Amino acid sequence: MPKLRLRQAAPVALVAMLLLTLSACGLTEYPNTTFHQNTEFNTAVDALFDRLVFWGTIVFVVVEVALVVTIIKFRKRPGGPAAKPIHGNAALEITWTVIPALILVLIAIPTVKTIFETQAEAPAGALKVEVIGHQWWWEFRYPELGIVTANELYLPVGRTAAFELKTKDVLHSFWIPQMGGKRDLITNKTNHLWFTPDADLPSSAWNGFCAEYCGSSHANMKFRLFTVQPAEFEAWARHQASPAVFSATPAPATPVVPAAQVTSTDSTAPVAAPSTGYMFPKDRLAAEFPHVIPQTPIPAGITFDDALLAGGDPVKGATEGFLLGGCIGCHAIGGVPGAVSEIGPNLTHLASRHTIAGGLYVNDAPTLARWIKNARHLKPGSIMNTIGKGEYDPILKTTNTMGLDDRQIADVVAYLMALK
Amino acid sequence: MATLATPTPAAVAGSDAKSGLWSWLATTDHKRIGTLYLWTALAFFLIGGLEAVMIRTQLARPNMGFVSAETYNQLFTMHGTTMVFLAVMPLSAAFFNFLIPLQIGARDVAFPRLNAFSYWVYLFGGILITLPILFQAAPDGGWFGYAPLSTPAYSGVAPGSSELKMNMDFWVAGLQVLGVSSLAAAFNFITTIINMRAPGMTLMRMPMFTWMSFVVQFLLILAFPPITVALVFLMMDRVFGTTFYQVAAGADPLLWQHLFWVFGHPEVYILILPAFGLVSEVLPTFSKKPLFGYNVMVYSGIMIGFLGFGVWAHHMFSVGMGAVADSIFSLMTMLIAIPTGVKIFNWIATMWSGEIRFTVPMKFAIALIAMFTIGGISGVMHSSPPADLQQTDTYFVVAHFHYVLFGGSIMGIFAGIYFYYPKITGRFLDERLGNVHFWLNFIGMNLTFFPMHFSGLLGMPRRIYTYDAGQGWDLFNLMATYGTYLLVVATAVFVWNFVRSRTRGAVAGGDPWQAATLEWSIPSPPPEYNFAKIPTIGSRYPLWDLKDPSWNADPSGHAVPSDPSDLQEETASHTAKALGIPMPYPTAKPLFTAIGLVVMFGGLLLFRDHHAVGLTILLTGAAMLIGGLYAWLTSPLE
Repeated sequence: MPKLRLRQAAPVALVAMLLLTLSACGLTEYPNTTFHQNTEFNTAVDALFDRLVFWGTIVFVVVEVALVVTIIKFRKRPGGPAAKPIHGNAALEITWTVIPALILVLIAIPTVKTIFETQAEAPAGALKVEVIGHQWWWEFRYPELGIVTANELYLPVGRTAAFELKTKDVLHSFWIPQMGGKRDLITNKTNHLWFTPDADLPSSAWNGFCAEYCGSSHANMKFRLFTVQPAEFEAWARHQASPAVFSATPAPATPVVPAAQVTSTDSTAPVAAPSTGYMFPKDRLAAEFPHVIPQTPIPAGITFDDALLAGGDPVKGATEGFLLGGCIGCHAIGGVPGAVSEIGPNLTHLASRHTIAGGLYVNDAPTLARWIKNARHLKPGSIMNTIGKGEYDPILKTTNTMGLDDRQIADVVAYLMALK
Repeated sequence: MATLATPTPAAVAGSDAKSGLWSWLATTDHKRIGTLYLWTALAFFLIGGLEAVMIRTQLARPNMGFVSAETYNQLFTMHGTTMVFLAVMPLSAAFFNFLIPLQIGARDVAFPRLNAFSYWVYLFGGILITLPILFQAAPDGGWFGYAPLSTPAYSGVAPGSSELKMNMDFWVAGLQVLGVSSLAAAFNFITTIINMRAPGMTLMRMPMFTWMSFVVQFLLILAFPPITVALVFLMMDRVFGTTFYQVAAGADPLLWQHLFWVFGHPEVYILILPAFGLVSEVLPTFSKKPLFGYNVMVYSGIMIGFLGFGVWAHHMFSVGMGAVADSIFSLMTMLIAIPTGVKIFNWIATMWSGEIRFTVPMKFAIALIAMFTIGGISGVMHSSPPADLQQTDTYFVVAHFHYVLFGGSIMGIFAGIYFYYPKITGRFLDERLGNVHFWLNFIGMNLTFFPMHFSGLLGMPRRIYTYDAGQGWDLFNLMATYGTYLLVVATAVFVWNFVRSRTRGAVAGGDPWQAATLEWSIPSPPPEYNFAKIPTIGSRYPLWDLKDPSWNADPSGHAVPSDPSDLQEETASHTAKALGIPMPYPTAKPLFTAIGLVVMFGGLLLFRDHHAVGLTILLTGAAMLIGGLYAWLTSPLE
């Protein structure tokens, strides 16, 4: 009987599906999971969630079992008992009002406790980080350390990071699932969030996301967090605070940020900073944290002669290309006179980053060349102008008759790649 | 039974043999308007479903290129807007229209022409908001339209150019138009329920669907003003350059969020309570038992509606309101779980000791209990703000509210459609196809939405048009996409059944399910005038009392038996005229007035670009609106 078969097949399929889901949980890795205890913040969240799951499961089982038992036991069948006109039962109804209320009390108490714990003032000595949202990339500033960077956040393990969250345009939301809950970036307002990466964490890489819808490239507004050992952080910070290492013009007499300011803030273990500073090792990313490496394919329809990249002239790129391309109108480079605009990401140490374009692409010469040539083709809605000569601008819907040819772009790429 | 004049064969369908396009354009009959709502809302349900299919296809695998980012953003905005405002709310409205007068023993709603107006405004508002998707210009700021993304600075012109970007204008105008429709209908139904109940139909004898609808109408009239204010502000910002939300002028974008969610949370109950009402009709009928704890069911419905206004900021735990506000809104939210839980347990208790018949509507009603429970439990999980900070704006929330809205509202509405289709059309929906639909729908729904719990808790944000491989989300997304395709098949089976059964379904009598309430005492489909003689009601379950007075289906103790002669189905149908029942004249004045309203908003949309043309159209629309209203109000109803 086909009718019977269908009836039997459906629950079987449902159970099989659930089993598949559950088995999948054990087999694969989940690099952005929210179930972890990497920070005190998420340890609290996780404990609360465990309690919610515990009571939720009990309620689920009680309700569904009661439902299934009822519909099996009282299905109409020949010779079965006749329906009884029961209208209600005050005692029963009070019972199933009071029991859920008690369960909710057991949830409410730790909830309120955790709210006040996690929203308290950040502990003294926390590392202050300003997070500024832009459509669609992240600006990170360490005001005490004189660092301005983009899309990649470094934090020392074992020290509380206190974030000041702001936005230059629309709402965004700052979220690193592996560190704890999210907090929105609200225009004309400063929000706060803090957590402490566990002191025992080995140096690691994590994904961060924008979690509040913010327009065309909301999905492309990602960032990376590197939780590193204090000494590594120190080396990174010292280098990031220094002006650009490559300059076609003579370096200014005094560094933009006095080195003394950098060392005075934290350091217990002085580190001899290598000239290129610290950068989370690329080979470790590939081996241990492949999920933080962007996989966005470069859209079809954009060509670049990669052979030109080898011959790019960084000096020409710095002098001619950076100006002709209009880069200087939006991007700052520490130590370069005139390059002070804050519209786009700060490029002072661009080559020390693993990603570009709001974490959308890997930071290498071929990708960077294509990005410069036609950013709007690579990232929907990007306000970065189409720089390549003869390129079609998908926003202005015109072909760019000015701009840089491939050779000039290769020069700019050579320059930017020198900004270690 | 009323004394009958000679039956006329032309009146088999119970109407004065009215047919043709004009009879629909000019109708003021609540049943016809209900049918129009049903067909229109189902059409929008299919459009919203198509949008969902495109969304899921794009997300089936990492870095798919099925649609662009811009198109995706329009799709998810329109999927939410369509399903909430154009599908589920009007599907409920279809039942309000069709059922409320029948359940309370009335011949029509209080204001039949206003009722027609509500429908036409809904139809035109729906078209206004949906049509732009054909021109890649659909709203793209999310169904929640958060400022400042929805303000002119960020969505007024195409980025980097001065080309006017109208997408969010359609949304702002369309929602205002739809609000007019909802408000007019809500006042109409409140007046109807308060004033037009048959003799003996006390409030506490009303069928549960009418009760839940009654609560919903109050939610509508209290929830729509805040969003109307919010939308008027936004429209002023967009069209006239005011600065309610313009951040460059120092506006606080949280103003929008508060106003929106003061509407938005009661809206959830506007979407779910009618479904609760429908299953509260279905479960007793097929358990052959009165509803367990009728009074408590009424009070819990009122309680849910009341508390629903005090929890809006639980949508905003991540905006940084502070620990005190977070705690208060968290506790208020948890409180709602109590009356909701009571409803679940009372439904199960209704079936306990019954004789359960597993008809298709019953299966959908049982599925609502099973599925809504899951949505309710995940709801409690994000009523706890610290936990919510890991859940909000992730797929966990998407899973949660789809269990509430698909597992709750849609299951309940399908239960209602299968249950009332015989009353509406006079024919049954096919049982076999119905079973296929039910199981495919049930499995498809779980396959689509259950994996989203996992992808969300494993870090997948909402509203992203694409994602990288290896994030731990691939399998769950693929499952969800296959589930959606299964839902497409399920819906196709349903549509086939729905269309085919109108002419080929088995003929149903006046009371095909052996149900208990008034709407089943009249023929199917009901005659134009509903009740040849207005019945006098003595209990909550008049038809059951009639069959077996000793069974006493009314627990109030002081129930008087309904007059049996009122409740026997008529053996023949007659025209209203023959029975001497005055009926409203058909009139297209409400339609004309509704066109005027929409033309007015259309003029406002054009005003941004072409002041003179826009203003002319706006004034023309206003003149039509005022003229139509004048002609309508100065002509007699019947």
